[in-house]
Amino acid sequence: METLAHLTGMSVVTIWTLLKVLLVFGFIMAVAPPYTWVERRGSAMMQDRIGPNRALLFGKWQILGLGHALADGIKFFFKEDIVPPHATKRLFWLAPLLAFVPALMGFAIIPFGRSFVYQGSMYHLSLLDPGNGMGMLYPLAIGAVAVYGILVAAWSSNNKWSILGGMRSSAQMVSYEIGLSLAVIAVFMKVGGYDPADIIKDQMAVGWFVWRQPLGFLVFFTCMFAESNRLPFDFAEGEAEIVAGFHTEFGSMKFGLLGLAEYAHMITASGLITTLYFGGWSVPFMPDAPVLLTILAFMVKLLFFMWVFVWVRWTLPRFRYDQLMFLGWKVMLPLSMANLIFNAWLMSRGG
Amino acid sequence: MAVLVKKVELSLLDRSYVWPIAKGMVITLRHFLKQITTPTNKRFTIQYPDMKKPMPAGYRGLHELKRFEDGAIKCVACFMCQEACPARCISIEAEEFSELNFTQGFEEKRPSVFKIDMLRCIYCGMCEEACPKDAIWLRGEYELAAYDRLSLNYGKWDLMNTYAGLDGKLQVGPAQESPATASRPVSA
Ligand code: SF4
Ligand code: SF4
Repeated sequence: METLAHLTGMSVVTIWTLLKVLLVFGFIMAVAPPYTWVERRGSAMMQDRIGPNRALLFGKWQILGLGHALADGIKFFFKEDIVPPHATKRLFWLAPLLAFVPALMGFAIIPFGRSFVYQGSMYHLSLLDPGNGMGMLYPLAIGAVAVYGILVAAWSSNNKWSILGGMRSSAQMVSYEIGLSLAVIAVFMKVGGYDPADIIKDQMAVGWFVWRQPLGFLVFFTCMFAESNRLPFDFAEGEAEIVAGFHTEFGSMKFGLLGLAEYAHMITASGLITTLYFGGWSVPFMPDAPVLLTILAFMVKLLFFMWVFVWVRWTLPRFRYDQLMFLGWKVMLPLSMANLIFNAWLMSRGG
Repeated sequence: MAVLVKKVELSLLDRSYVWPIAKGMVITLRHFLKQITTPTNKRFTIQYPDMKKPMPAGYRGLHELKRFEDGAIKCVACFMCQEACPARCISIEAEEFSELNFTQGFEEKRPSVFKIDMLRCIYCGMCEEACPKDAIWLRGEYELAAYDRLSLNYGKWDLMNTYAGLDGKLQVGPAQESPATASRPVSA
């Protein structure tokens, strides 16, 4: 790495950061298309179907239908890029980016492996080094920005269905954000800080937060589904009532980006769940596991939760809109408050 | 009489969301594991162009003009099928041939042209019923599609050879319900 730094005239820190950026964003971008494949084939298997398997790679190899992810990408790129005449052009162009970028950015704080010392300097396996002062507040803030992606997409299309979908989903995301934040605050309270490194260290010392705050986990988990606009909370779209919702007017790669944003959001959400409640990169019963093992442990947990997102989607029917609001305000919010107060009470008793 | 709808009383466990969702997820996972471990040919789905369902015996698909064991056509061009056909899609032209080739036995007539317009045929099987010589059968082939109308006008050799092998005798094709063709009666 020194030689590389020397050659390019950049400092080791810069190179390391660049490397991490490439690694993390490359990972998300690389995983999102197979993720759509997992979703489609997985759902098919759950419903005793076969799923898409007819796309052949170069007209020859039918590798379990993986060619469909590729074919989708190619199709998105080569479709005509239509901007409807009644749309607000600039926002219409901006919206897919506004949806996609925050979904990616949230992942920056998540540590995906143990920090290690190499040749006297410390290397951290997360894009933002620990102790940056933002901690887990950062993904929450970024998650709130993600609402804009959908809302701007809906508003700029200047279409009734889109606006209805956008309004519904922004209302949903805002109302679930409160329950979510309160659930996370209970974790912060226990840890005494909101740096992911501290949170993971605390979980390694005492135990994963799923066991310590099951109620908080439940609320957080549910709210994550609502945050990433996933079934059973996918109110941004809805074929039966508002056509495709917020992305009705979008075509070609803009539509592809909006779709990718949802998957990137799910990956980030899985990362958050893993970090906050499942001990992040920590390996159970191995306090000082080697670095590669910790990365592997993080991957296993991450992939598991990504699978849970698919699994839940194909198990549950959608909620009705009023049921969603009922669940958000009258169930999730009181539950997370109860969780917070209960934990505060425990701590005041010295627990 | 009014229908009494029994009100379902949910237990506290069932109303908690969490437990029923967990139950549902177990069900979907069970289906997932079962389907993913079932080999492709045992699944419910028949992946059509690669896999085909064998047609049942008596299925009325594309016609076959039967042959004798030595490959000669059984049809004697009696026009019974043409008469019986409700769709009027068979057109036959007869020819005389006993003079031409005496080894061909007792028949004096055979079709020189035997055309069935597959676009008009309704696959009713009346031709099969009507045939006194048991020379036309409806068999299991059902993939009748073409890019133009003319190519669906099946001629004599199409009808004789679709189910036959290269030697003109071997029985191939989806339906194997036909018994071996009886050898032609030896005439005096
Ligand atoms: S199956 Fe019916 S319609 Fe078709 S050729 Fe025979 S008699 Fe005519
Ligand atoms: S197929 Fe049968 S019914 Fe038709 S002309 Fe030939 S022998 Fe007669």
